Amino acid sequence: MHTPVMFDENVCNGCNICVEVCPMDILGPNPEKNRPPLVLYGDECRYCGACWIRCPHGKRNALRIIVPPSMRVSILRGARN
Amino acid sequence: MNSQIQVIPIETDVLVIGGGLAGCMAAIKAAEHGVKVVIAEKANTENSGCAGTGIDHSWAYIPPVHDPMGYTLNDLMEDHIQGTSAGMVNRDLLYLVASQNYHRMLDLEKFGINIRYQDSTLPGGFRVVPQFHSVPTSFNFEGRFLKLQMTREAKKRGVEIFNRVMMTELLPSDGEIAGAVGIGVRDGKIYSFKAKTVVLSTGRSNRMTRSVSGPRHNLRVPAEDTGDGKAMALRAGVGVINMELLTGLWFNIGGNEINLGSPRNTTQPAGSITGPTGEMFVPRTQFYDWSKLGKEKFDAAQVRPLWMQFRGAPPDYFALRKQGKGPFFLDLTSGTEEEIKYIEWSISHEGKGCYWLDHLSQQENFDFRKDKLEYLPNTRELSIAQAAGVVVDKNLETELKGLFAAGDEVGGLPFSSSPGAFSMGWHAGDLAGLRAKKQNSFREIRDQQTESLKQVCAEMLERRTGFHWTELELAVQNIVDYYCGDERSEAYLLRGLERLAQLKAETPLKAENAHELGRCLEVRSVIENAEMVMRASIERKESRRQPSRFIRAEYPEQDDANFFCFLSQKRIDEKVRFSKIPL
Repeated sequence: MHTPVMFDENVCNGCNICVEVCPMDILGPNPEKNRPPLVLYGDECRYCGACWIRCPHGKRNALRIIVPPSMRVSILRGARN
Repeated sequence: MNSQIQVIPIETDVLVIGGGLAGCMAAIKAAEHGVKVVIAEKANTENSGCAGTGIDHSWAYIPPVHDPMGYTLNDLMEDHIQGTSAGMVNRDLLYLVASQNYHRMLDLEKFGINIRYQDSTLPGGFRVVPQFHSVPTSFNFEGRFLKLQMTREAKKRGVEIFNRVMMTELLPSDGEIAGAVGIGVRDGKIYSFKAKTVVLSTGRSNRMTRSVSGPRHNLRVPAEDTGDGKAMALRAGVGVINMELLTGLWFNIGGNEINLGSPRNTTQPAGSITGPTGEMFVPRTQFYDWSKLGKEKFDAAQVRPLWMQFRGAPPDYFALRKQGKGPFFLDLTSGTEEEIKYIEWSISHEGKGCYWLDHLSQQENFDFRKDKLEYLPNTRELSIAQAAGVVVDKNLETELKGLFAAGDEVGGLPFSSSPGAFSMGWHAGDLAGLRAKKQNSFREIRDQQTESLKQVCAEMLERRTGFHWTELELAVQNIVDYYCGDERSEAYLLRGLERLAQLKAETPLKAENAHELGRCLEVRSVIENAEMVMRASIERKESRRQPSRFIRAEYPEQDDANFFCFLSQKRIDEKVRFSKIPL
């Protein structure tokens, strides 16, 4: 199973906004309060970023979207100094 | 066991099916008539649909900008008819959207969305960029959290929102709509709505073909949109058009499929497409010279042929590749710092771009100022160019009285997209609200659809052996990709239809819980949409390359005498029949 979303336990306080808004409904609340949600259906992620933009602690990387290798963009690097 | 599935009955004046941009707008407007309005939404209206993670542009006729330019509403319509749609357009819908969307932009401003900028030199302080017409017609606005704000506006007006409820059946009663029924994809309960009027706005039909990158839901468009509305409309006897126009593969940002235009939209003005050694395939966009505004009259009739030639379709990257050209790269390196900052702002306000720039810089160490992104094939889709959807009259009412449709649910307006969602949503909501207000009682529901949905769900939940929805979906996608590919022919399409029928008959699905039950019902929609695509592909006995590349191997030429029309498919007495709708 892909793990499209990784939570940082030190930042995420389990507010579960991401669980509520995920369009594909791939997340579930952690049975333990104040802990990061669980990724229940990782293969169903559509990588839209709803969890990321709605996360109140987004700037502190409470969660990160992990793009699988087959989805990485192909980059032509410019000249470096 | 069947009786264990709980049925929740709900009565409402107006039921909106699908709470994307169009659905939210419809609900907001309908509620202004003082009637009870309910949205049934499969995901969560705060972040669902094509604009779920933001939208920042929308085309419109903008009087304060276009009047002094000398560009008329008629000029925009002609640009759209001749250039953008290659004639394949419903003019009533075009007029509705082109003339009304400016007012919807002002509504967005009332909802708290910023549409004016201090650094703008244009009337109104607007930002307007070129996209689909011979002059700039697309508003730029701060729409990153638009769906959240629209949800708040809807609630403020008393709209009741049922999130995680997927509607699956319309309930007709003697040629009129009487309600709809669906399933809670978290609680597994059946929601049975009685409604005086219904607005259908579930969006596009996706997931019929395999994602080229592998991860099943990595599409340019929302994977939760599975054509549920079109499937239920067909089942209820409503006509559906343009389904044959499912695209072939096409080029855009590959890997993480994201649409930044061709590169005519989001990456304007700096975006160009170049080869590895700098060979130019698509040059930078020439912007309208705003210093001429009010001084020089724009002559649309004279400019249009040039614009159409220049705009054309994006280059045929597959053909270029056969000639040994490419690889192709989105190249912003000629951009000024100001241009790149603007483009980055624009990307981060729409769709997957909301997190993608952060991902690119943090995880890929990417910088548009020096690095280029490769254009690669994107998954086939029924996108905005195809305008596939249900047949409506000029007031957005379907053949089923009291059933309105809006946004991407409606067929016949290429590049309808967000302007279509805002303007049609508002109009459909207005009429649905008014009609419901005048109607005193509910229509009697006599059909058995609630019972039969209960039966279908119970079977899937109780089945000991059966297939997972992913197994069936993959089989459908294989069939569509092989039998209904870039070049189609009757023999293959017929064979494809036979194989879909076989799959339906011989692949019982099994669901462990409500979540999987929803996915199973989505796959049922996907199959029915795929059947519509194949049936319509058989019916269009010609090739039509614009506005969407449709190629029939046996009929390589365009046949305007017989096929310059929409093909409507409609279920009559259990058989699907076609009729031609003239343009």
